[in-house]
Amino acid sequence: MNEATSFLQLVVTAMVPFILAAQGTMIAGRAGVFNVAQEGLMMLGASVGFLVSLKMGGNLVGLLVAALVGAAFGWFLGWVTTRFRLDQFVIGLALFFAATGIASLLYKVVIGVTLKPPLIDTLPDLEIPLLSSIPVVGTVLFTQDVMVYFAFLVSGLLYWMLYRTNLGLKLRSVGENPKAADSLGVSVARTRIWCSTAGGALMALAGAYLPMTYTGTYTEGIVAGRGWLAIALAFFGGWRPQYILAGSAFFAGMEVLALRVQVGGVDIPHQFISMLPYAATLLVMMFALRWASVPAFLGRNYDRESRH
Amino acid sequence: MTTTATPPTTTAPAKPAGRRGTDLSWTVLSYALAVLLAFVVSGIVIAALGHSPVDAFRAILTTSFKSSFGFVETVQKWVPLVLLTLAFTIPLAAGKYNIGGEGQLLVGATAAAAVGIILKDAPMVVLLPLVLLVGVLAGGVYAWIAAWLMDRFGVNEILSTVLLNFVSFGIVDYVASEVWSDPAAGHPTTVPIGDGGLLPLVGTPPMHTGVVLAVLVCAATVVVMRRTVPGFELRAVGTNPRAAQVHGVRIGRVAVGSLVVGGALAGFAGAIEVAGVHGKLIEGMQSNYLLLGIIIGLIARGNALAVPFVAFGIAVLEVGASAMQRTADVPSEMVLIVEALILLFLLFSDVVGTRLRRSSR
Repeated sequence: MNEATSFLQLVVTAMVPFILAAQGTMIAGRAGVFNVAQEGLMMLGASVGFLVSLKMGGNLVGLLVAALVGAAFGWFLGWVTTRFRLDQFVIGLALFFAATGIASLLYKVVIGVTLKPPLIDTLPDLEIPLLSSIPVVGTVLFTQDVMVYFAFLVSGLLYWMLYRTNLGLKLRSVGENPKAADSLGVSVARTRIWCSTAGGALMALAGAYLPMTYTGTYTEGIVAGRGWLAIALAFFGGWRPQYILAGSAFFAGMEVLALRVQVGGVDIPHQFISMLPYAATLLVMMFALRWASVPAFLGRNYDRESRH
Repeated sequence: MTTTATPPTTTAPAKPAGRRGTDLSWTVLSYALAVLLAFVVSGIVIAALGHSPVDAFRAILTTSFKSSFGFVETVQKWVPLVLLTLAFTIPLAAGKYNIGGEGQLLVGATAAAAVGIILKDAPMVVLLPLVLLVGVLAGGVYAWIAAWLMDRFGVNEILSTVLLNFVSFGIVDYVASEVWSDPAAGHPTTVPIGDGGLLPLVGTPPMHTGVVLAVLVCAATVVVMRRTVPGFELRAVGTNPRAAQVHGVRIGRVAVGSLVVGGALAGFAGAIEVAGVHGKLIEGMQSNYLLLGIIIGLIARGNALAVPFVAFGIAVLEVGASAMQRTADVPSEMVLIVEALILLFLLFSDVVGTRLRRSSR
């Protein structure tokens, strides 16, 4: 396997947390719920996913429980912002704190302070028969772990659901013009709550993937801003699943590149390399927003009795 | 014209007077209930973890007042907390979310340390004001980057301020481990700044005089927000941007200005940490002040007069947190959950309050 192929294979792996977290942001956002708790939910997903995998045995159980916990947080965000119309950003930030605190608390309670943290097995690569034997592409795309396939599958399903089904049409209308949707009998609250729940689950899955592919354990800095970058990615991808999928390659590419340059001993201080993904994102955002559209009711609560 | 204008003027004075009284008592009640409920819920969690909630809460609440050391530690912790809270709430008054206080603090601290190291032989009259001023400027400029991206390119300010935090980590790491590194420290740390750049200490145990500066900043903020034209414009933009614009307020400039002022205060906090607490730049010195600043700002509902008091309460909890971990063996993260619960219960009390008022009318 040559250098370029292994680089691309790493990029595809690194895409997964970005895809899942950004699609989660997108699906909630398309219904009008702007979740800003990604970073916290990913931490919680990583912590819960790791601990459950360690104690109950099996990464799939860990992924499932993490998704359920994330779903609960997403549901809460959707519920209080529709039922009580509390401010989405304020609740999102509160959930971010709570999730961050719970993530570290759970780890300390279950594991405690140790010099040598326990490890879980990382997810094994699954070779897709026939497809994996294609040169380069087979290695890059079809010799990956189960979550890579899942992330691509979710992106495809979301695209199909949003643009090819009646459900997707209703969902989008809730984010663009809830009054019109409401007048046609679409339940704005129910749609938002479901989308926020699904979004929370995807964010926690994105976090749970991190210990299962990179470190094998939970550390406080494991998410390293990927949650915030996922919001950037949602904007960058114009809140459309297909562009988010494409955009995640850029974010993942930056991440792997920064890592490679550090290891490769290029004569640039590593501190500057570590800034690269964030600085590049800012630069890209300057130009991305000219063409990217944003759901009209993103972050705004719907009040049936108000005049707008 | 005159007939429609008279009724409000006759009824208006009586009504707010009565409402203000109930509003104030409701506010006090809702805060008390939120704090109580947060402690009850987290007490149950602590008990469920097999520790004693009484011991844990005693450690949290009394550490700041048991000894003068604890009290000074609390007051010194209050300084960055209150400044980072204002860095969040001042833009919030204009409807902008500054989640970049961490980066602005670090860049302010870096600039302050740089000046303090380069001019380390300068006398105090020159160096100390310079160290503080450069910190303020650097924080303001750093926030201006995000404000400019927002104003010129429409980049969401939550995003740009957060991403700049991560950029600032690299800057601090570079300065502390490559430029003026102190190899003896064993952790990315700069050499100490000149003695002329240090804030004078007073009392026993010694407390740095940055506390006085922070109190002055708090007082100035209250006056500016409530009694001056920029403060009024700021609140006007936050409450109703369209109305403000129609009345000639340049909302873009107000929003940018609020972020820059917020960043300047965060930079000031960084400079005070360098000149008063550490005497040098240390990687990781931002602690979790950003999170706490946001929590305090939201609990105080952006009210500049309430901010110093809420910040003091949170400083007590934070100083107590490590004592709790030592004595009651409860992880210090529990305090973050207590704080998040206070905020959530407070937000819910709004809902309950609105319902009660609606039904009693």
